[in-house]
Amino acid sequence: MGGDLMPLILLKEGQEGIVHMVSGGLGLIGRLASLGITSGMRVKVVRNIGGPLIITTNGTRIAIGRGQAQKILIRRLAAGMVQAEIA
Amino acid sequence: MTAGKDLLVALAGQPNVGKSTVFNLLTGLSQHVGNWPGKTVEKKEGFCSTNGTRIKIVDLPGSYSLTAYSEEERIARDFIINERPDAVVLMANASALERSLYLLAEFLLLKAPVIFALNMTDVAEQQGIRIDVGLLEKYLGVPVIPMIASKNRGTKALISEILLLTEGKKENRPSLAEVSDDHKEIFLELADILEQYITPPYLTKWTITKIMEGDPDITEKMSRTVRPDSWNKVQALLRKHEDSLLAVVKGRYDWIEGAVRASLSEFKRGQILLTDRLDHVLTRPVFGIPILLGVLALVFSLTYGLGLPLQQLLESLMNSLAGWVEPFLGKSFWLRGIIVDGLLGGAGTVMTFLPVLFFFFAAMAFLEDVGYMARAAFVMDRFMHVIGLHGKSFLPFCLGFGCNVPAVMGARILESGRIRFLTIFLTPFVPCTAKLAVVTLIAAAIFGKTALIMSWALVAGNILILGFAGFIASKFLFKKQHMPFIMELPFYHKPNPRTIGMVVWKRITAFIRKAGTIIVIFSVLLWLLSHIPGGHIEGSILGLVGQSIEPIGGPIGLDWKMIVALLASVTAKENSIAALGVLYGVGEEGIRGILPTVMSHASALSFLVILMLFVPCVATLVVMKQEMGGWRWFLSSFLFMLVLSYVSGMAVYQFALMVGL
Repeated sequence: MGGDLMPLILLKEGQEGIVHMVSGGLGLIGRLASLGITSGMRVKVVRNIGGPLIITTNGTRIAIGRGQAQKILIRRLAAGMVQAEIA
Repeated sequence: MTAGKDLLVALAGQPNVGKSTVFNLLTGLSQHVGNWPGKTVEKKEGFCSTNGTRIKIVDLPGSYSLTAYSEEERIARDFIINERPDAVVLMANASALERSLYLLAEFLLLKAPVIFALNMTDVAEQQGIRIDVGLLEKYLGVPVIPMIASKNRGTKALISEILLLTEGKKENRPSLAEVSDDHKEIFLELADILEQYITPPYLTKWTITKIMEGDPDITEKMSRTVRPDSWNKVQALLRKHEDSLLAVVKGRYDWIEGAVRASLSEFKRGQILLTDRLDHVLTRPVFGIPILLGVLALVFSLTYGLGLPLQQLLESLMNSLAGWVEPFLGKSFWLRGIIVDGLLGGAGTVMTFLPVLFFFFAAMAFLEDVGYMARAAFVMDRFMHVIGLHGKSFLPFCLGFGCNVPAVMGARILESGRIRFLTIFLTPFVPCTAKLAVVTLIAAAIFGKTALIMSWALVAGNILILGFAGFIASKFLFKKQHMPFIMELPFYHKPNPRTIGMVVWKRITAFIRKAGTIIVIFSVLLWLLSHIPGGHIEGSILGLVGQSIEPIGGPIGLDWKMIVALLASVTAKENSIAALGVLYGVGEEGIRGILPTVMSHASALSFLVILMLFVPCVATLVVMKQEMGGWRWFLSSFLFMLVLSYVSGMAVYQFALMVGL
């Protein structure tokens, strides 16, 4: 597999990762899942400079609070292995 | 086809998929906007007739899924379960197919006769995404209609598909998402235990899935009907498999992946999207905030530059109207007073603000439609946190600068009840056009050369107090709680005049309806109270009330006439000017001349501060009560405003005396 496990909030702008798991209440998990943020989905951080983050997933841009971003555990993709991971 | 047959069609979809555009295209002006029974969620219905078939279209609230965690989602799913519409048109965004398919999976589980309307195919093409409609249709087992609603393409095909489907001429054999393989067994075990308890209109598969998702509504419902020992078994199973929700979600995404792999092809995606480029600048606080301030300044100068001359024109028309009807009213003092001073002078003045509101709401609707307001909400989020809110509350606040009535209703976009309450609670502290008009006029009369500075200082102070009120309220009244901020940032796109027009129309009519009913009644009532019994204000009920509470005016530097004018401002803020005119016996025209002789600088400041922070107008009060849904919050907000305005007025007055203003 490779790649480090970390909360989404630690991803820098431009970095991508695969969602490993979302912790939190069923409400939050369900809500994020409907937006495409759930185990196995690929997300990319577009903006992360204090305040909420902007991430893209499946062609959708989502603004997400820092508290929520902390609860999303992702496996970071190194730039080179993006293709391999998807395949 | 039998003539005159009625069909019931639900229009569903996630936010930002062009659902309201399609609704407007289908129903035109036949639409009716109300509320879902007992809810503060908007319900839109309309009709569309074709070949003798009347199709009733119900616009379901936009939702990302069909859980029970938000009122919107619960309404949508209850409608499908209980009303069993003949067809459900599920709008999808072709450029974000996966997400739309997630909602589709939920609808199909409910055995809803779905037509999948694939909108924004042009946007998808621009982004290098092509979807093979035929293959998608084959995979899903439901009709798929490609559409470009912004260019009115695909609506005819959609309507004929609705007819084909409801006449049974088209097969509807959807493929369903299953729970992931490792949880199939648990699913079957649960089904074994629960099947006998599931009765129509609920479906077995759907109910079991919801139980696995931990859906609070269904879990509660089942726990009441299932035998205790069986229910314990269910509980034990669920405890053992805590990850059941994930199994359901994963099953859906496996199904989605299949659909995408079957039908979607991406070609050269290298082009930098407009959204990427704009967001690069607009969502960076360093640029985003100055740009936002600039945009708002532009909106305001546009609104007042275009709106105020028209407002003045309407005002003079209103005066000529008064002069014109007066001779017809005969000699009756009461009739003349009620019509000319009460109705035209009160409610009529309020109506003259329509042009200002129109330009303001048009500008706001434009910014919303092109996708900018979501970015404004994003950059404002950090500031809104200080007052216990988050970025999404920024839009209702902005609307509040026009009129508090649509602003309070605009708080509906906030999903969490608590944050919605707090937003409504704070909205009256946003200075609306009417308050600004009073401030401008009185400041001009009293402060002369420094009027502009004073007005700005008052508005700035007002906004600071809004922040302070939010800080206090979120600390003490609404205990700090975790508030998730999750908001989609739609792609920027060309403005759609039709959608903008509908939004402006909705907000303007909300204002007119209030002005035409509540404000009319209160204007007349106010006039009567200030003339009964003697025909003079001094001896009237209102005058007596004012005089009896005059002692409380001491510390804030107001005489009883100013207090009465403040009370009158509750009808509508503009009415405080008319009231001052009447009380000082000079009419509205002479007010500029007389004010400097009766109001000291300190008193005027205190008066304006209180006016801005005081209880809002009745129209706002009525919608606040309605949207807060109960007396408790409403009354606490009422008291809070009374106390805050009094204390602030006193502080300003004493300070002004100290520095010798």
